[in-house]
Amino acid sequence: MVWRSSLRHLGAHPWQVGLSILGIALGVTVVVAVDLANESARRAFVGFAETLTGRATHRIVGGPSGVPEELYARLRREGIRALAPVVERDASALEAGGRTLHLFGIDPFAEAPFRSLVTSDRATASVPLGTLLTRPATALLAERTAAQLGLRPGDTFGIRVAGRRQRLELAGVLTPADTLGTRAIESLLVTDIATAQELTGASGRLSHIDIVAPRGATGDALLDRVRAALPPALEIVPASSSARALDQLSHGFSVNLTALSLLALFVGIFLIYNTMRFSVVQRRPLIGALRALGVTRRELWTVIMTEALVLGALATAVGLPGGILLGGGLLRLVTRTINDLYVVVAVNELAITGTTLLTGAALGIGGTLLAALGPAREATRAAPRAVLARSTLEARTRAAVPRLAWAGVGLLVGGALVLALPGGSLVVSYGGLFTILLGAALLTPAVTVAVVWASQPLVGAAFGVLGRMATRGVIAALSRTAVAIAALMIAVAASVGVGIMIDSFRQSVVRWLEGALQADVYVSTPSPVSSRAEATLDPELVARVRAAPGVAAVGTQRTVRVQTPSGTVQLIVLAVAPRGYRAFTLKEGDRTTLWSGFADGGGVLVSEPFAYHRRLRVGDHVRLRTETGAHDFPIAGVVYDYGSSEGVVMMGRGTYDRFWSDRAVSALGVYADDPRAVDALVDGLRRIAGPEREVLIRSNRALREASLEVFDRTFAVTTVLRWLAMVVAFVGVLSALMAQELERAREIGVLRALGLTPAQVWKLTTLQTAFMGLVAGLLALPVGSALAMVLIFVINRRSFGWTLQVQITPTVLLQAVGLAVGAALLAAVYPAWRMGRMELSAALREE
Amino acid sequence: MLLECGMPSAPDPVCPAVELTNVVKVYREGESERVVLREVELRVAPGEIVVLLGRSGSGKSTVLNLISGIDRATSGAIRVEGVDVAALSETDRTLFRRRRIGFIFQFFNLIPTLTVEENLRLPLELNGIDGATGRARAVDLLSTVGLADRAASFPDRLSGGEQQRVAVARALVHAPALVLADEPTGNLDAESARQVLGLLADLARRAGRTVIAASHSEEVAALADRVLILADGRLSERPR
Repeated sequence: MVWRSSLRHLGAHPWQVGLSILGIALGVTVVVAVDLANESARRAFVGFAETLTGRATHRIVGGPSGVPEELYARLRREGIRALAPVVERDASALEAGGRTLHLFGIDPFAEAPFRSLVTSDRATASVPLGTLLTRPATALLAERTAAQLGLRPGDTFGIRVAGRRQRLELAGVLTPADTLGTRAIESLLVTDIATAQELTGASGRLSHIDIVAPRGATGDALLDRVRAALPPALEIVPASSSARALDQLSHGFSVNLTALSLLALFVGIFLIYNTMRFSVVQRRPLIGALRALGVTRRELWTVIMTEALVLGALATAVGLPGGILLGGGLLRLVTRTINDLYVVVAVNELAITGTTLLTGAALGIGGTLLAALGPAREATRAAPRAVLARSTLEARTRAAVPRLAWAGVGLLVGGALVLALPGGSLVVSYGGLFTILLGAALLTPAVTVAVVWASQPLVGAAFGVLGRMATRGVIAALSRTAVAIAALMIAVAASVGVGIMIDSFRQSVVRWLEGALQADVYVSTPSPVSSRAEATLDPELVARVRAAPGVAAVGTQRTVRVQTPSGTVQLIVLAVAPRGYRAFTLKEGDRTTLWSGFADGGGVLVSEPFAYHRRLRVGDHVRLRTETGAHDFPIAGVVYDYGSSEGVVMMGRGTYDRFWSDRAVSALGVYADDPRAVDALVDGLRRIAGPEREVLIRSNRALREASLEVFDRTFAVTTVLRWLAMVVAFVGVLSALMAQELERAREIGVLRALGLTPAQVWKLTTLQTAFMGLVAGLLALPVGSALAMVLIFVINRRSFGWTLQVQITPTVLLQAVGLAVGAALLAAVYPAWRMGRMELSAALREE
Repeated sequence: MLLECGMPSAPDPVCPAVELTNVVKVYREGESERVVLREVELRVAPGEIVVLLGRSGSGKSTVLNLISGIDRATSGAIRVEGVDVAALSETDRTLFRRRRIGFIFQFFNLIPTLTVEENLRLPLELNGIDGATGRARAVDLLSTVGLADRAASFPDRLSGGEQQRVAVARALVHAPALVLADEPTGNLDAESARQVLGLLADLARRAGRTVIAASHSEEVAALADRVLILADGRLSERPR
């Protein structure tokens, strides 16, 4: 019977039950979606990297020019057979929306011990190796990719690689053994090594040589033999190191997304707490009667916790499919960011993992149970006859306000201390951040009470008795309104915090770009990864640009990856034009002595994230593998640079040319004779490049806009998550108002009997909710600003190492208050409408 | 709106304050129907105090709800101060109630978020009487009911008897023509009930207000100029 009564209670309040299920389900949805998107991207990347690495244990790598092919032939002649040459480069299809591909040139005869791409039983059936080897410009694509591009063997298709357009013939298709394999090879474009060299314009060069070295002494001996044969420019590295390095690179990005998703769940848990508490309060006469009839505390506790379990399970059942659905959308955004910033990897499918779903279920159900603990305790604490009167409960809540406030202050201080811990990890930092948010939430009732009393004269003067009723109503139902206000406050504070962080970040990037982009026109090759323009410009084009009319000076840039003892780093080689020195904003270093050493004196500049992650300062050294072996370069300065989160090393062209034979140029910065004639210069340079060349010629302004576009794309996913947290908070306010509507039916009935029109009831309700929104919005301003400071000075710094200049615009703050009030008012529409239309006689009859 | 006995703002002394003609009220509960009032006839003169006696569920509250326009009759006519209440729109009924009717409920129903004084000022403010005038009138009436010292208290700080005295003051503060009291002593002890009834009768008679009270208490009936019995949906007058 007890269970039946519980079931009927839930059935009699479908709105309340529905909204709490929706709140927690949205929280679960967001967490699962972010986790699935992150995990899918990571798996796709790892799967892709593993497919390419295969069974290779090590690889021979070189600097910017790669590995001479002659070395491969020589090693094989010396009897070292466990080797496979590879030429690889990012490419994109000319059709199908420029879909990204990874050109992977191999020697099919050397492949068997390494990869089964073209050598497994299944593969050999579908791969015409003869055609691949003998016919130039032939390639293989994954069966599914070929189908998606509408290609069949024998068809030709266009690709863009190394800044050039090329046409290839599809020789056959790759058919992997399983689904995992299908995903891993989806973006592969496999060719014979010679074709790949031709396509990339790197004849006689390899990207690397794979090695299979058995474990133990035999393997060590093999590696020693290879090592002995290597020129100083080359070295042997573990095959897994590059995959690991890139995985670590996007780690900060993933952690940040996960934290934002947990925020939505955090707000969702608030809602479930609100619902369970209200459900207990509402049933106080029933609970009292049941206790009087002999139902034990334990039995009651079990009923309430089981209700929570059912709600949590239902919400999870709704949230999980929602998460899968949303995850698909987020995956696109996450992949785009990873492609923009880190590495090109095609992720077309969501990898739905049991772990993610289990985590989502555990958070949904566990969170609900956790939120229900307090209300369950409250219900069972009451003595059989001493059932809590509503007013007693509210009085008790009001009495608890100072205690809650002190606890809030304690948590704020605790959170701040956690954040102040030096060298804390990102997860610990987020722990501190969430502690601060919880502290702010506990302070909410006290602030609400204070604001209500402080605003009484003003509200009374503006709206009369109705206004005072509206605001005091917030305190009268503090047990519920405070939770709704806190949920809204947290969502809005998160929005303010993230908003200020993005604004500050964007402003820092804008200022940096203004300084960094000194040239009038930029010439570069298109690259699938925005931040890694490693393709080179045709030397003839470089010469013609230098000699073009209207050109005052030209600075050059060459972007390469070089080996360091801790993996590869991006090296930006610069020949700075005289006006170009202004492009650098020093964080550390002496500007007066810097440039003389930089041009060709051996000194290098490092970007702020590079220095931060490796704890380097001016005067320290960076060890880079040059063509003459490892060399220590002194750090002459640390510069602000927001172009890469992993950090970069910048070197003068003169220095580079002394240590490397590579003379290529990746991009040019062109200074116009007449800065007012930039458009004409752009047109002139485009004519010089001709329509055939894949070259980007952009004005300073266009490049700046393109860079900011990448920046905005990076934060698109953050914006989605901010809005989702707001939706959850909106559900919270709606739920609280619906609960109040149920509870205030009689009071509203009395007011209507006294002569309040439905419009005045509407006004009363909206005034009250607007006030709740206002309190949440006002409280969100300091909390959001503090959150922003934590994000800027702690989280961002520990994730990426960037210094951001804090930028708080009044717009963000006004938007926050507007958002809170708007959300609250929107949530009030339906309850206010219902209250205005309630049947008066029934409302007055209710007790 | 039919005006048979002059304007509502200046009622004709011979015109009834309240007039129910052939009023029927039927509640539908799913497929079944429950007849609460059967062809009820009632005429209450201005300034008269009438008590409706009847058992719980006999329809006393329904009669008050119909008179105040909170509920609508299934058939029949209801005129208050000559105004056909049924013919008014929802908003006009609300405004009519606001101006011309005062309510007293069994469970006091003071607004918990307003102080005692503000509870009294609410009907005044709704009728456009605000500021110093409203405050003075509220304070004056609070003194009359002996609660001047509790003006700044919230209702939950008052005893049941005190709350109902505030409710009586609230029902009269805006000088309504008609006061409707639904079981005004139903939730009070005998002493408090006596105080409240004395106050209600005294204030209403002094100000010439018409009072219709629904109750099952003989003590309340003792105040009345006329006692009506409501049983089986029919209204009959109890002989003196």
